[in-house]
Amino acid sequence: MIDYKNVLTTCPYCGTGCALHLQVLDEKLVGVLPAKNHVVSEGGLCIKGWNVHAFVNHPDRLTTPLIRKNGKLEEATWDEALTLIADKFGEVKTASGPDSVAILTSAKCTNEENYLLQKFARAVIGTNNVDHCARL
Amino acid sequence: MTDRLTTLRKTIENVLPNVEGVLALRIGPGGITAPHLFSKEHSEELDKLALWPKEPVPDTLKIILRAHPDAKLAIVCRGCEERGIVEMFKHSQLNLDNLTLIGLQCEQDEAEFCRCAKPFTVHSKLTVGEPIEGVPDPLTAKIEAMSQPEKQAFWKQEFEHCIKCYGCRNICPQCFCNICALEDETWVETGRLPMPNPSMYHMVRAMHMTAKCVACRECEETCPADIPMAVHFRLIARDVREMFNYEPGASMDQKPPQLLVLEEGEYERSGLPH
Amino acid sequence: MYEPKIIGFLCNWCSYRGADTAGMARMKYPPNVKIIRVPCSGRISPELVLRSFREGADGVILLGCHIGDCHYATGNHRTAKRMPVLKKLMEYTGIEPERLYINWVSAAEGEKFTTVIKEFTETISALPPFVETMK
Repeated sequence: MIDYKNVLTTCPYCGTGCALHLQVLDEKLVGVLPAKNHVVSEGGLCIKGWNVHAFVNHPDRLTTPLIRKNGKLEEATWDEALTLIADKFGEVKTASGPDSVAILTSAKCTNEENYLLQKFARAVIGTNNVDHCARL
Repeated sequence: MTDRLTTLRKTIENVLPNVEGVLALRIGPGGITAPHLFSKEHSEELDKLALWPKEPVPDTLKIILRAHPDAKLAIVCRGCEERGIVEMFKHSQLNLDNLTLIGLQCEQDEAEFCRCAKPFTVHSKLTVGEPIEGVPDPLTAKIEAMSQPEKQAFWKQEFEHCIKCYGCRNICPQCFCNICALEDETWVETGRLPMPNPSMYHMVRAMHMTAKCVACRECEETCPADIPMAVHFRLIARDVREMFNYEPGASMDQKPPQLLVLEEGEYERSGLPH
Repeated sequence: MYEPKIIGFLCNWCSYRGADTAGMARMKYPPNVKIIRVPCSGRISPELVLRSFREGADGVILLGCHIGDCHYATGNHRTAKRMPVLKKLMEYTGIEPERLYINWVSAAEGEKFTTVIKEFTETISALPPFVETMK
């Protein structure tokens, strides 16, 4: 039994929002097809969109947070990592003021996540230093 | 359109019990069409069967057959897609024994959209729709009529728009090499946009499409910069027809000229010195 | 008047020997041609020719064994099939097809070698420098 599926999704790389089909063959991601009659991309993709399937199951992809201990990156749990981040942010903020912190958000996040991140920067940290990788 | 759609559905329903799947187009979420493998277990999916826009079905077939070389499949193909499948067969990319071709004849507006000279199938035993005559290609004629400096300026401008997405190569049913010359830095410079003129990328690709391009125009359609690259391929295809008497996809057993030695009269037609 | 840069791809078995013959007979030919020896004219892929132009060559000349005399039996058949198509492609892209020249020179044809090079250098000198036309 051959199991071939096309899963319609949006390219995660930048804010343009090109539509693409992920080609799934026997539960494995094998390729990308542009969506021809989609209003945004009209069947076009850039080189990043064309290779979007490559990073999903890549062995180099990070699956857990890493913490540098004695100069070496070691795998850690989310609780450990978040506690560490909160501690360090607190330390820096008390020592040098809130404007010593900057927040970089990402085009790979959703609109809501980006909203939360700027809210976090302004309301929790107290800085306007927010920027974005896809600030074109 | 509905008429062709009903006939196609009936044909697929007849074929389905004898094969593992039928590759055709389906309307997906949001009205977006995509190639889909219809199976007898889920024949109700045929409600969503679609005809247009043209999608690279041979390319999908290639992906499936690489994982399942002995699968018994059927495919709904237009004239150009059928030519693509025949050329893939000639280059040992697939086996035609287990493949049932369902030919879908294009209609006038579809042929005009593709500027297609051969909008009909020739090898398919099962066909849907009435074959029509080819239409002229005004764009190719216009570009060919330009003077040499005009051509130079025209292509320079077009190639400057290229963002090197490699989409034309990815979507091409005839681009199946494991090692691609276009990814070799010896030939195609990386990290420079716009590309230096003349564009190595497009020139090398045009050379590699010689006697292979089946004029399906998928490359032009997927190009985010709307570069009319098929014009190059079509002009060269005409020369290949004149020099080597070869038309990609026209016959099952004629071998591509690049795999053969010179034949009687070919040298004389090449325009090389004697 | 500029001095054109010409790249000459010469097949090891015939044309390169032909150039040797010309040299031994002390025949004169223009010094614009930079000769690259290749095992067979069939080795010259369209990519190599295009790259030569990209690197600033004004003309590319390709010399091989006569059809039927190839050391590898049918190597030059590839040249005879590919290069006319490349010339057509150059024409369609707006590059003068005269910038690419293919001919056959055997080991004994020193005389023909010099005439071919002379004529080709004259043709290229009449054209503007390639890099200028591509700007």
